[in-house]
Amino acid sequence: MVFQIDFKSGKPVYLQLVDQIRYAAASGALRLGDPLPGIRPLAEELRVNRNTIAKAYTELENQGVIETVPGKGCFLKENTSPFTKQVKHKLLLTEIDEAVVTAHHLQVDREAFLALVRERVDYFERKSQENT
Amino acid sequence: MSNSTNPVIEIKDLRRSYGKHDAVNGLSLSVRPGRCYGFFGRNGAGKTTTIKCLLNLLRPNSGTVNVFGLNPQREEVAVKARLAYVPDMVAFYPWMSVRDTLEYLASFRRHWNRELEADLLNRFQLDPLKKTSSLSKGQRTQLALIGAIAPEPELLVLDEPTSGLDPIVRREFIETVIGAYQSGDPEHRTVFVSTHLISEFEGLIDEFTIIEGGRELLTMESDQARDRFRKIRARFAQMPTALNLPGALSVKQNGREVEVLANGNSEALLEFLKARSPEELRCESLTLEEIFVASNILKKGNA
Repeated sequence: MVFQIDFKSGKPVYLQLVDQIRYAAASGALRLGDPLPGIRPLAEELRVNRNTIAKAYTELENQGVIETVPGKGCFLKENTSPFTKQVKHKLLLTEIDEAVVTAHHLQVDREAFLALVRERVDYFERKSQENT
Repeated sequence: MSNSTNPVIEIKDLRRSYGKHDAVNGLSLSVRPGRCYGFFGRNGAGKTTTIKCLLNLLRPNSGTVNVFGLNPQREEVAVKARLAYVPDMVAFYPWMSVRDTLEYLASFRRHWNRELEADLLNRFQLDPLKKTSSLSKGQRTQLALIGAIAPEPELLVLDEPTSGLDPIVRREFIETVIGAYQSGDPEHRTVFVSTHLISEFEGLIDEFTIIEGGRELLTMESDQARDRFRKIRARFAQMPTALNLPGALSVKQNGREVEVLANGNSEALLEFLKARSPEELRCESLTLEEIFVASNILKKGNA
């Protein structure tokens, strides 16, 4: 997979990597058991500190997205979030709220916003099916 | 032996003058192991003087400098055995070949990784039989880098390492520092780099100090700095009169457009601008290089 780092996004670099790997997993670009790039080659390629990559992988491991097999590297894990339903909803709410606020400022109305959400969910489902 | 939580470099209230001119005037900083620490400053800000005090090439007038918890003046050999230094101008004995030079450098070291040396020679396509006098500036820097990395030191001190090099050599240089050096034993590989080609090192720098007039102007984690310093651009249908922005670092206005630099208060500034219904509103982080430039405004603000 190809990563894109943007220092101007205001998001810490390690979180950008976390997001992109989660995106790849959700869209099926990365599949169950697929290996993630090694820390060193990825750090060299992106010209970022290897600590940054290691931090991103640790974060993904804590979130239950990947697992580390000693001596072999990191692999995409079966989608079993360790969070309870309540926590999952709470995590999502913050992100949804942000989108709702942005929609308000862009004067995107309720119907158009909900339609967009449906469209994106469909998109990921479609992509994920194409990739399996 | 220093344990891993002790700082690799610790400078406290360092002062060093040349005659009446104070090159370094009360500088303090601390570098933890395993980090890549950026040391930014304009020409003449005191970067090289500070580095020379770390290496005992200069003696401080006052203040303390510790490397691995040792005083480089009293325990010069013990300190230098554990670090390597790449200056901006590298000089080799002109009659020696690349091979001779590496053998010569290796003779001073307790440990030398031959495999790593061979890998890097191959990667940089350096001919071991070539005389150093016929190397280009880029090749000289590459040779200096091999000489610095092959002994696998705990600390790599780089003073303007990539100035005057072409973009491809610069990229390779940085990739080598990340890959061949840092990945060898990440917990114990510390980089201290002074540069003003900051954008090249953007992804590598964990933490940095900006030095100005021999004093520390700003010390921060890179992620924290990019979060704190932001540039907001807004365009209005009609420029509001009395656009008095509370606490903005700087405000530039051009017709109906305004560009605001925020120093930790971007949320408040965004709200303030949003309330005046802009046609367009964008916010992005400053890069480390832009933060370096903006730090000049901070300085004027403090004065």
